[in-house]
Amino acid sequence: MLDKYTCLEKLAAGRTDEIIITCMGTAKPWENLSDTALDFASVDSAMGHAADFGLGIALAQPGRRVIVLNGDGSMLMSLGTLVTIAQRPCRNYVMVIIENGTYEVTGNQEVPGVGSVDFAAMARGAGIEQVYTVEDEEEFEERLPLIFQGKGPSVFIWKVERGEEPVPTFQKTLAERVRRLRRALISF
Amino acid sequence: MKLTASKIHQALKEQGITHVVGLPDNLSRVFFRGLEEDPDLEVIKVCREGEAFAIAAGLHIGGKKAVVLIQNTGLLEAGDALRGTSWNMRIPQVILLCYRGFKSLKGERERTDSAALFTEPTLDAWHIPYGIIRDDRDLAKLHDAFAKADTTSKPAAAILADTTV
Repeated sequence: MLDKYTCLEKLAAGRTDEIIITCMGTAKPWENLSDTALDFASVDSAMGHAADFGLGIALAQPGRRVIVLNGDGSMLMSLGTLVTIAQRPCRNYVMVIIENGTYEVTGNQEVPGVGSVDFAAMARGAGIEQVYTVEDEEEFEERLPLIFQGKGPSVFIWKVERGEEPVPTFQKTLAERVRRLRRALISF
Repeated sequence: MKLTASKIHQALKEQGITHVVGLPDNLSRVFFRGLEEDPDLEVIKVCREGEAFAIAAGLHIGGKKAVVLIQNTGLLEAGDALRGTSWNMRIPQVILLCYRGFKSLKGERERTDSAALFTEPTLDAWHIPYGIIRDDRDLAKLHDAFAKADTTSKPAAAILADTTV
């Protein structure tokens, strides 16, 4: 099993100009590592829609890599998005499903299908070709470069230990965070 | 009078639409076909209507202009997605909504399509302004929806009340 915080630190260390979309249990830990105009917390937004929201940005900005840090609970809320991602493939789209088996920020209630759901099989079954399950440090180190340089669309499943993140809150409203990201993208 | 797909299509182009995100239904099938044949537009088909709002929001943030094209049944399903993206993000999102059951509203109540019965009260409850386009004479209401969305930076709807031809 992986430690989510270590994974995020390594991702932040390797990141250059990619757009990072976070939600739920990764939103605050990522903000502590990076809070630039290209970091966007999908918090106070739509439940389970970070993945498709990121796809929209990737479609609009084909020259810029979009990395969505999704949760397993969030992914389960919109599984059809895997098919949508596959039927309109974007080379610049990467999704990481951070699988801890729970709804972490609401008190670690187990998600449906914990222990039996196979996200990699579902992503492949949806038609996504680049799918990687990462369960230990060695695999993480080996596959981290693919997040930045591999051909998309790609899905990484990070199997992580359960955490205890609270419900994330932000000083900036969602609309303010949207304006910051939009200004950064449209000025390029 | 009819609701001519090519005229709605033309109106979208006049508004500078780059992407149509949605899910086809029997009312919009002719319209959808024409959109998909247009090399200047990209049509993104989704599996469930909530995705359409999230994708359209991402497109807007990335500098594109998308319209969401769904049936009223899908709108009812997509409430949280609309709330959490278009509304909370302050996206000037125009929704083209196909009005399943519109004609049943004038008939006997027990035969009224509940999709139609719920549509306008839901839009009212969600504070989404809308105009109903019954035929080509009402096409100005589509442009009104764009104007309202732009003015408020919030979603606005234009409802297609008949089958497109």
